[in-house]
Amino acid sequence: MEKQLIIAVSREYGTGGHRVAKALAEKFGINFYDRRMLEEIADQKNMSVDTLHKYDELPRNVFISRTVRGMSNSPEEAVANFQFDYIREKADSGESFVILGRCAEHVLKDHPALITVFILGDKEDKLKYVEERRRVNAQQAAAMMYRHDKKRKAYHNYYCPNKWGDARGYDVTLNISKLGVEKAADFLESYVRMRIELNK
Amino acid sequence: MIAQIAAITIFVVMFILIITEKIEKHYVTLGSGLLTLIVVFGICLKDFGAMWDIVNLKSIVTAEFWRTTGAESESGGVDWATVLFLGGMMVMVEGMARVGFFRWLCMRIAKLVKYKTIPIFLAFMTMSFILAMFIDSITVILFLASVTIELARLLKFNPVPMILAEVFCANLGGSATMCGDPPNIIIGSNLHYSFMDFVTNTGVIALISFVFIVAYFYFVMRKQLSTSTGGEATDFSKLPSPESAITDKVGFFVNLAIFLIAIVLLITHANTGLTVAFIGVAVALLTIITSGKHVLTVLKKVDYKTLLFFIGLFVVVGGLEHTGVLEVIADFISKICGTNYALMVVIIIWLSAIASAFIDNIPFSATMVPVIKSLAETTGISLDTLAWSLAMGTDVGGSATPIGASANVVGTAAAAKAGHPIGWGEYCKKMVPATVIVLVIATVYICAVYL
Repeated sequence: MEKQLIIAVSREYGTGGHRVAKALAEKFGINFYDRRMLEEIADQKNMSVDTLHKYDELPRNVFISRTVRGMSNSPEEAVANFQFDYIREKADSGESFVILGRCAEHVLKDHPALITVFILGDKEDKLKYVEERRRVNAQQAAAMMYRHDKKRKAYHNYYCPNKWGDARGYDVTLNISKLGVEKAADFLESYVRMRIELNK
Repeated sequence: MIAQIAAITIFVVMFILIITEKIEKHYVTLGSGLLTLIVVFGICLKDFGAMWDIVNLKSIVTAEFWRTTGAESESGGVDWATVLFLGGMMVMVEGMARVGFFRWLCMRIAKLVKYKTIPIFLAFMTMSFILAMFIDSITVILFLASVTIELARLLKFNPVPMILAEVFCANLGGSATMCGDPPNIIIGSNLHYSFMDFVTNTGVIALISFVFIVAYFYFVMRKQLSTSTGGEATDFSKLPSPESAITDKVGFFVNLAIFLIAIVLLITHANTGLTVAFIGVAVALLTIITSGKHVLTVLKKVDYKTLLFFIGLFVVVGGLEHTGVLEVIADFISKICGTNYALMVVIIIWLSAIASAFIDNIPFSATMVPVIKSLAETTGISLDTLAWSLAMGTDVGGSATPIGASANVVGTAAAAKAGHPIGWGEYCKKMVPATVIVLVIATVYICAVYL
């Protein structure tokens, strides 16, 4: 890959967005970063990965944390900032990668190599996907979807000025129900290639 | 009645907005203060004289404001003495920080104890306690925590227990003097107590408590501290020398001299008659004059937002006081206690402590000062007893949770930034027992000595 390429993928729970993001990384032969970046951060900071997981992708709780002279004592905010710094460092090093979640579309918003994607889906399809993948019944799948999406939305909307899933905050918003995971990855690949062509 | 409802509503909304941090807190209190002036005094009470009294600018031009003659001066509203004193001390502290004084002091002490973890732990607790008596606990913890983290990295120990102990001792040290913690400045300047009044009352309680607290933290944390995360021996030559912290040698001695002058002026202010407002302005002017070309650097670092926060807050509390809301609270406490003064002391200490553990102790103490004044007038209990109870409760109670006091926030934020996020569970497990120990000591001492 000649020019740097960064693809930030955000997604609703149950859309298979993780698989799409991974497929995109494979198609372009670039690194893929998701929750596992916490292991590397834990190594760098000499801290327990469990601590990082505990506070991962959570918004700051305003009732149990405070800010004094610009310093926040929220562990959630500290862990979020570790990840934002990690993403920025990767981007600044010139590396090409696909990043899943972590507000990357906002953290790297001024980066010229950035392409941002939000993947959504129809409720019935997402339910079916969660039931099959997680081997749970419809009620449990609905509860999981509600919980995860609520958490992702709260996390995103706390750290980013644009709203989670609002089309105005992304280059592409794609309803995966109409294409499925593989076709969606193909579609996004062609979109990214078009962008690369235009930027040449 | 409408004025009371308006004053309470503004106060409650202000508190909620401070907690949510959606808007910077100085804008919140200034906006609330302006609303209090317009709605409570202007529209509801139609009392424009009281409006002017609450702003209280006229107090600054009186001779009594700068040098007390012992005459009784009653003034509510904005406590300009507190604002000027805090502002002046901030300028002085920034002057000291610029020349590297705090970092030098931390590194010097670490070197003195030969970079041994447990002696550093004990020395830093003591330093935190003593420094916080004279300068704000935020600055004390900013420097102590950053040096602790640096030493922890080099000497391979866990910095969290040490930072927590430093935070607690800073809050405890702050309770010992009039200028140690903002609630004490508010209590002292409103109720006309001197620096030595605090030292001989809350200072004694703080010192007794400090002995117990050092022992408590030592036994609770020694295991965590002695467990080194690395096996190899530390190369002490890699450690920065204390002298490398000093950025301006002449400035270092000049600012140290100003600090010593401030301490002398504070200790003797009951004899000299110089007020805290005078002392604040004097040390600020001395720092400005001697800072030369660095004056703008120093002034830019002053936390003017906190000063604006205080001004707005005093107006809102003035609204509550003027409309009689605080008397209702005082009446309620006196009804519960009757003439049982011990119960009153217990309520003031523990209520203040519990409230300060969760909400900012500055608005709380500003609100409670008129309440204890009213209690003393109506029940006959000595105002001194209630003042020391309020000071100990608000100063120490704030240590119990990560959000209770500014020093806790700064300490835990510095730890989090360095890769050691501290959750409520971990924090409270160590700090709540320590807080309870001091509160029990304070309750027993005040009941035994003053009642």
